[in-house]
Amino acid sequence: MRDVAVMGVGMHAWGKFPETSVTELCRVAVEAALADAAIGWRDVEAVAAASSRFSGGKGWGLNGNDVVEDMGSTGIPVYNMSAGCAAGGNAFNVGHALVAGGMHDVVLVVGGEKMPKGFIQTSGVEEETDPEYLRQRCVGMPGPAFWALLCRRRMDELGTTEEQLARVAVKAHEVGRHNENARFRQEFTVEDVLGSALVSDPLRLYEICPVSDGAAAAIICSADAARRIGGDPVWIAGSAVATARFDDGLPRGLAGIVPTGMAHHSEAAMAVSKALAQAGAEPGDLDLVELQDNTVYYELAFPEEWGLCKPGEAEHLLEAGETLPTGRMPINPSGGFLCFGEATTAMGVFQVCEVTWQLRGQAGARQVPDAKLGLAQTLGLGGNGTAVVLKR
Amino acid sequence: MTQGQAPAVEGLFSEDGGTARLLGSRCGTCGTGYFPKSGLCHNPACDRSDMSDAAFGPAGTLWSYSVQNYPPPPPARYDEPYEPYALGVVDLDDGLRVVGRMDVAGPESLVAGARIEIVIGPIAHDEDGTELVSWKFRPAEEGRDA
Repeated sequence: MRDVAVMGVGMHAWGKFPETSVTELCRVAVEAALADAAIGWRDVEAVAAASSRFSGGKGWGLNGNDVVEDMGSTGIPVYNMSAGCAAGGNAFNVGHALVAGGMHDVVLVVGGEKMPKGFIQTSGVEEETDPEYLRQRCVGMPGPAFWALLCRRRMDELGTTEEQLARVAVKAHEVGRHNENARFRQEFTVEDVLGSALVSDPLRLYEICPVSDGAAAAIICSADAARRIGGDPVWIAGSAVATARFDDGLPRGLAGIVPTGMAHHSEAAMAVSKALAQAGAEPGDLDLVELQDNTVYYELAFPEEWGLCKPGEAEHLLEAGETLPTGRMPINPSGGFLCFGEATTAMGVFQVCEVTWQLRGQAGARQVPDAKLGLAQTLGLGGNGTAVVLKR
Repeated sequence: MTQGQAPAVEGLFSEDGGTARLLGSRCGTCGTGYFPKSGLCHNPACDRSDMSDAAFGPAGTLWSYSVQNYPPPPPARYDEPYEPYALGVVDLDDGLRVVGRMDVAGPESLVAGARIEIVIGPIAHDEDGTELVSWKFRPAEEGRDA
């Protein structure tokens, strides 16, 4: 495998843009990434794109083809990756493999999304053989209910309080207000969060990420190409994809087996541990983590599931300020999904942008001091998990 | 089920003499249970799929619970005006972790570890007034181990 560098990143700010197409959002992100890498569109040899279920892509998730047509049809290969909310991370992994394996020297990874209003409908399939259809038809438990059930289990098992949940959101906005690309930049108090409406008890409106529009892009290169281009490379030390294990005990379909140990997100844990192993690093070596905080629960559960801290310790680290950019275990210095909202398939690439800026020391008021090793992680429907470890 | 009732989806549960059961399958080789029915054993540790029909429940233990505070998007069903309902995850004694609606007014009385029994109850009404029923979880009665 060849060494691969991130040479340029860029994004369109997150928000709601009813007058702008997803391809136009991607154009802004791609042009910013090309400018950041100091290369032109004709230097791009292949595109790995996240497939959207909600916008553009000719209704078939061909979002990478839309980008190529928009930027100029040079005839380059396009790979459109579908992995639910993990699609951006999945596209990054494939882009990395294309360069690491010697197929191409300069690859564009891009994810863009325009989301429909309101909470996401988990399944578009109306077939009685589809477990997600049965789950909604016979029970009625959309995405936030899944998170709420896991969160309530944590509260009963580890004693997590409603105030501690609220503090995760307060901390996210304390950091995210410094991010000019974030959609929600106001500060919240614990009282504000606890005063927001219950969405899926015990989770409240300000504790769950809304949906947003946005786009992000990254230019990744072989070491040879990076030297030729010059500039400021950040290296991909690990990139991994995993799918859920049979016996992890999460209540995903109608029913599963009762696990022998604690239920956990096996796809995320496996992707993270594989990416760390490729990087020759331990969880404690990470200077920062961008994780998929669809809800505050994940900022407590994931660090424990990945061995960054012990079970039940996440609340104490949060309350001690250790998850802030200046703490011992910085989590989501970008502000995370809570401050951006989820533009589903763009999120994996958005995370790579943030980790790259952090490792370059370009993150301004949300900078993690002297950051050298960072992790980006996504989780998607169907049991898809991705992880990227970047280093200086 | 009584007249004027119909299952939300056919073939997923039975109710015999007041005892509700979930209709799934079990692998004769590794013993893994499935709900709904499966034509193949999905256990990667199992060497040979040997599936036959099996019924599960009604007794189990509550693993977690929540409330669906907002009207869920399609294809979920509910009656207007919307009334929030409680949700549960139950570990059945015969080895399945199952999701379902709770047959309780609110979550205040619920606690993980509570004994549960499966019942068949209404979740919504069809356009023609037919009551759609599904499996639900009810706290087991005092002194009666469901």
